[in-house]
Amino acid sequence: MASLSDIGNLMHLYLDEIEPGEATTAPDFLIRASAQVLNEKCDRNWVPIIVKETGKDQYQVIGNSFVYAVAEEAGLDRVWCVVADNSDATAEISRVLSGEEVPKINLSKASRDEITAALQYLIELPDSDLKKVKLATATNRIDEAPRQYWKTLEPIANLKCGITRGKKLTALKSVFYLTPQPMPEVITDPAILKSLTATELKKMAKKRGISGYSKLKKSELISVLAEHN
Amino acid sequence: MSETNLQVALRKLPDNASEAIVSETFFAPYVLKALGFSQSDGEVIPQFDTEKGAADYAVRKNLSDDIFLHTQTNPYLICELKGRDINLEEGSAQYKKAVQQLHKKYLLTPKCKSVKWGLLTNSCHIQLFRKHSKVIHPATPCLEVSPETLDHIIEIIKQKIEKPTKALTVAIYNNKGGVGKTTTTVNLASILALAKKRVLVVDYDPNQQDLTSALGLKLSEGQVYKAIDTPDISLRDAIQRYVPPIKNTTENDLGFDVIPADRVLVDLEEYQLRQKWRSHELQKKLAEFRAVYDYILIDSPPNWRVFSQQALCAADVVIIPTKHNNLFSLENSVTVTREFIPDIQKTKNGATPVALPIFFNGEKITPYQLQEAQKALIELIKQAKRGQDNKPKFDLQPYFFPKYTNSRKDLHVFQLPSYANIANAAFSRIPAVYRDKSAREYYISLAKEYFLHG
Repeated sequence: MASLSDIGNLMHLYLDEIEPGEATTAPDFLIRASAQVLNEKCDRNWVPIIVKETGKDQYQVIGNSFVYAVAEEAGLDRVWCVVADNSDATAEISRVLSGEEVPKINLSKASRDEITAALQYLIELPDSDLKKVKLATATNRIDEAPRQYWKTLEPIANLKCGITRGKKLTALKSVFYLTPQPMPEVITDPAILKSLTATELKKMAKKRGISGYSKLKKSELISVLAEHN
Repeated sequence: MSETNLQVALRKLPDNASEAIVSETFFAPYVLKALGFSQSDGEVIPQFDTEKGAADYAVRKNLSDDIFLHTQTNPYLICELKGRDINLEEGSAQYKKAVQQLHKKYLLTPKCKSVKWGLLTNSCHIQLFRKHSKVIHPATPCLEVSPETLDHIIEIIKQKIEKPTKALTVAIYNNKGGVGKTTTTVNLASILALAKKRVLVVDYDPNQQDLTSALGLKLSEGQVYKAIDTPDISLRDAIQRYVPPIKNTTENDLGFDVIPADRVLVDLEEYQLRQKWRSHELQKKLAEFRAVYDYILIDSPPNWRVFSQQALCAADVVIIPTKHNNLFSLENSVTVTREFIPDIQKTKNGATPVALPIFFNGEKITPYQLQEAQKALIELIKQAKRGQDNKPKFDLQPYFFPKYTNSRKDLHVFQLPSYANIANAAFSRIPAVYRDKSAREYYISLAKEYFLHG
């Protein structure tokens, strides 16, 4: 039985029935020149636009918005589109696979190789704010930090790996997201303790009934808390 | 003479046997059984999911109450089967593709961390690969299978997988000098020791003796010479322990063992050594240590004479440091990969050593310089592909651009950043990684790139 749904179909839709959605940021030259190529060759956009249905005879671009802009520039009446469903997941996949959105990885769980790849990508972007960051150092310090508990990326600025608050830290937000675990009640891992402030450590010492903590330095607090279970 | 079960099974295979037929009528019931794995006892899992694909078979011996089929954990050997329509002759495109698949999709996935061996066969060819942590190297050449040779081949493979060697032997070599062989060796040894690995370092450059002096150790007084020269004498007496003289010893208490350069060897002429020593002398002498250490690192001289040849012959893998701004160091890495290593393989009648991908060692590198270096490497790859000057054609791509595939033009070469403290550390006779956090991080990244899981 033929389904009435258009989802998954390749359709030749009227351009004016399609809303642009998230507009492309491609430079004017690329759009004009591509439109010329399209006109000269065959007027058929072999790379389809990804759209979702928003109403009767109404669609919105969710992927390949560059192709949409080119078709518009080339003056096409109808364009070839793939009709996708309405979900957010589909919208994200379409943007990511059409190269219009940089995908993010979960820093709470990422492997070392994944962190290296993400940082290398950022460092090698043209005019990157992270140009001077040393890949080996940054990878190692982020990998070894207790990132599974991080609620924000702020602690990276304290790792002294050349990534400071401001532009550099903001750049990291474009590739990393976090799904933090709750901090365990009793922490004895020195690496995690080190990432906390002296005040927080003192609070922890008080809770655990350690005496004489108030005069201790941070490094001493860490060794006391690491041993005291 | 009556035929063995294996031979009968192989003979019965039709010439155009598909993967399923090779797998079900030959490999699983006969080869795996001959290798000592029993399907009925639950030591064989077909279609083992590595999360990047399904490996044809994963196998492991059962432990007392740990039936592999039930727990599905810690696989030991991964097998990739092909049909006879796939040509697995070494060097063919289909062979390369199958090897890539075995390595990337199966052996290097987190689920296969415990795997020690990979086996590839289509019943016409068979090859065993060894996996040592992150390093994969061939354990046998790609062997042609015939009813006459089959039993012998399976016996060789069985012996290898039943008695795995503990150590990975690594030669650090480039016949161009000044690329940082010794620095790489001492720092890598220190990093591996800090990672709680047992490490033996051999200073096999008696003329320079740089490694011995960089660690502030005494030269050997003939122990190395005597051991190499006399069948029954062990190299054990030449070993010295290096413990870094650092106050804060909590994390540095491991250190590593060193066989220092031998003073006696300096005075001997090349022709004298050649008259009595063959290229496998060092390999023989290191055999007893392979069951003891996790890593044996050999620092070798920047030439192609007795000592380097013995070093490469003893090695499973060769690390070739280069300098991006020194074309000779790149060209020489080609000579090593394309000529010296295959020569050694031939004399050993084996599949090792193999070169690991090159890396750029410790020089400042601007984007422009990097581009120039990449261009130079691309040119070298092209030349080798054409096979000029009566040299056979050779594919250098995996040694220069290990991440490059048919669908990805990835030209990244691993770089060890430049850092003055690394080079200057020689003056203090302590490897830089013990004294300097940044240096330590650089070499951790090197160790993790090549040897250790991340």
